[in-house]
Amino acid sequence: MMSSVQKRAEYRSLFKHNVKGRLVVDKIAMGVVLGCVVIAIIPLGSILVEVFKNGLAALSIEFLTQIPGAIGTGTGGIGPAIQGTIIIIGMSSLIGIPIGVMSGIFLSEFGDNRLGRTVRFFNDVFMEFPSIVLGIFAFLTIVLLLGHFSLWAGAFALSLIMFPIVARTTEESLKLVPLTYREAGLALGLRQWVVTFRIVLSAAKNGMITGILLAVARISGETAPLIMTVLGSSQFFAGFDSPMDALPLRIWRLSLLPYDSAQLQGWGAAVVLIIIILTINIGVRYYFATKNSAKGKLFYRIMGGRKQ
Amino acid sequence: MTTVMNVQNESEKQPTDERKYKMIAENVSVYYGGIHTVKNITMKFREKSVTSLIGPSGCGKTTFLRCLNRMHDMTKNARVEGKILLDGEDLYSKDVDPIYHRRKVGMVFQKPNPFPTMSIYDNVAAGLRLNGVRDKKILDEIVEDSLRMAYLWDEVKHDLKKPAMELSGGQQQRVCIARALAIQPEVLLMDEPASALDPIATQKIEETITELAKEFTIIIVTHNMQQAVRVSDYTAFMYLGDLVEFNETKKIFTQPQNELTAKYVQGQFG
Amino acid sequence: MTRLIDPPLKNLSALMAEMGDLAIQSVVLAIDSYLYDKDTATQVHDISSEISKKYFQVADLTFDIFLRYQPVADDFRLIRSSIEISYGFTRFGRYAYDITQVRSTFGDISECDKSWLIEVSDKVKTMIKDAVMYFAELDIRKALTMQENEDYVDKLYRERLPMLINSENTKCALAEALVLRYLERLADHAMFMSDAINYIVTGKHKLTKQFMVKNVIDRDFTQF
Repeated sequence: MMSSVQKRAEYRSLFKHNVKGRLVVDKIAMGVVLGCVVIAIIPLGSILVEVFKNGLAALSIEFLTQIPGAIGTGTGGIGPAIQGTIIIIGMSSLIGIPIGVMSGIFLSEFGDNRLGRTVRFFNDVFMEFPSIVLGIFAFLTIVLLLGHFSLWAGAFALSLIMFPIVARTTEESLKLVPLTYREAGLALGLRQWVVTFRIVLSAAKNGMITGILLAVARISGETAPLIMTVLGSSQFFAGFDSPMDALPLRIWRLSLLPYDSAQLQGWGAAVVLIIIILTINIGVRYYFATKNSAKGKLFYRIMGGRKQ
Repeated sequence: MTTVMNVQNESEKQPTDERKYKMIAENVSVYYGGIHTVKNITMKFREKSVTSLIGPSGCGKTTFLRCLNRMHDMTKNARVEGKILLDGEDLYSKDVDPIYHRRKVGMVFQKPNPFPTMSIYDNVAAGLRLNGVRDKKILDEIVEDSLRMAYLWDEVKHDLKKPAMELSGGQQQRVCIARALAIQPEVLLMDEPASALDPIATQKIEETITELAKEFTIIIVTHNMQQAVRVSDYTAFMYLGDLVEFNETKKIFTQPQNELTAKYVQGQFG
Repeated sequence: MTRLIDPPLKNLSALMAEMGDLAIQSVVLAIDSYLYDKDTATQVHDISSEISKKYFQVADLTFDIFLRYQPVADDFRLIRSSIEISYGFTRFGRYAYDITQVRSTFGDISECDKSWLIEVSDKVKTMIKDAVMYFAELDIRKALTMQENEDYVDKLYRERLPMLINSENTKCALAEALVLRYLERLADHAMFMSDAINYIVTGKHKLTKQFMVKNVIDRDFTQF
């Protein structure tokens, strides 16, 4: 029968004691992790470098505002493509975001039942659909129905890609809002929808915006659905009912031409597309960061920092 | 220190409580998925008084408290039976809208939960604005009045636009109290309001409760028996869903009538 | 599982028990010293000082318990009454000492008629012993017997005093008057003690006749 002091000493001696060894392992693990991060960033970095290196030379006022010139001449620009991209992002967002947010709200607040589970399942499956399939679907429904390619069809296709992402991220963000805020709202005698829209939604803002921006960035670069819906054109905006150019389409078309000048324009278009996406991201975050009263740490908040 | 002389002169007659009954819970039972968790409780709460609910964990006191403002409407699998009469009107009856009920019976929760995206002013005004009150002058008035009642006005009046989450725990809880008071309830329910706070903040909350009791009916669930002794006029002891004893606080803590109560308050079980 | 408050409570009970025994001792010795002409003055004086010392210990202990543990219900009543009861014990010691002083001051009192005092002092001795037992056992029936004894002592005190006024032997008359007075005070303090113990048992200070009849004489008193 050992005394308690002895027992404790015995237990203590059971622990591993190679502190030095464990510190080394610690450093190695840290090194491996950092290495993976570097490996992940290298392609991203090199893509950006490559695109800017090759494309900056093509940028000029003419390039940004003119319609494409004759093939192979290197004249003209990508004006319509820029216009088209912006228009189609706007239209798709107008359709996709509200539907996505509403679905997200439904799933989070009222989706704890069989219907909710079914919807969630189909939502996840839908998110994984190849975009070309969605493009074909939009082609079959809108294009064949109306008889021509149009911006409507393109917006429709892109919104189909958008809304599952928005729904999912909205649902997750709303779920992160602790139950206690909903209870506090109810305890004040507020109706369920007021609690959801005025209190819970504003608390989940950050996460939702991230999700929406992700979805926007995703659709800005989608090419396949656009091929079958807006088709592309060389003219500026001619009505919602007609085909329209867009940057991904233009980049694709330019890259297929054998002329160096076309290649250069393609790179330039890629630079423009990346800049547009970056601008949307930073712009939205800047708007919401300055909306709150806190003045400091603006840069931190734009980069998505969370308040402790 | 009482001397031997005083003992002989003490009269046994105590003044009767003249306050009317503000809220009466009649045969209230709660079933969670079939299990009878709160068993047929009848309790009467007088106006302008503080009643505390004590009992070991799981005895049903928070569940019972939440019946009083129909919070169980939003809980799945919960079924409530019985009547809650506020000034004689049954708030669980079919024709009464729970929203209307909740405006008369306010609630403060255990962990301070000011709305995270709102400033102090917006938090306190939330119940008003979102219920349709728009007039800025009236909002200013009510916000100031509520913050004064919650003993927070002097500390925050110079910066009402500050985000509520930047305040200390005790201050946040007082914002929540002000927010609950802003909608002009008649009864205030508090679920362990000081359990997440440090001793100084707890003291301030207790002082607030005592002041508020001059105007409102307050019902508070607490784990801290010394707090119940300090703050409440009446105490109810609950155990395993039953109401074991209900009496003036002083009687419960000096001469409990029920042996179970005596055991619990003296720390002889759980 | 012992509560934090249990060891100090045990301590308190032990102290009170010792004080009780000492109190009984001092009173018995003192009464015998007068009735049977024994010199016990120093002994009783020492016992009385001992009781006083313990009284201060009890006072410290009870307030310490209040500070630390904020006792409630039974614990609270016990501790609250302990303060009053321990004070009562010091009074017993004090009056016992006073009685021995009568013999010291008055010198030879062997010739005085002590017949009147025998029964009274017996009753008082019983009352003191009952008080200590009542505190130890919390048996509420003791309150009844003590009340009866106190009534007797009071009655006798009021009867005998006028007789002493007309007595011829001033020394004896004065001595007896003093002793009677001390005995009456002892009985009185024993009753104060009984009231304090009533509070522990029932939560009420004074037990009215109706209460006694209803709860003690007619009913099953084991509810206490």
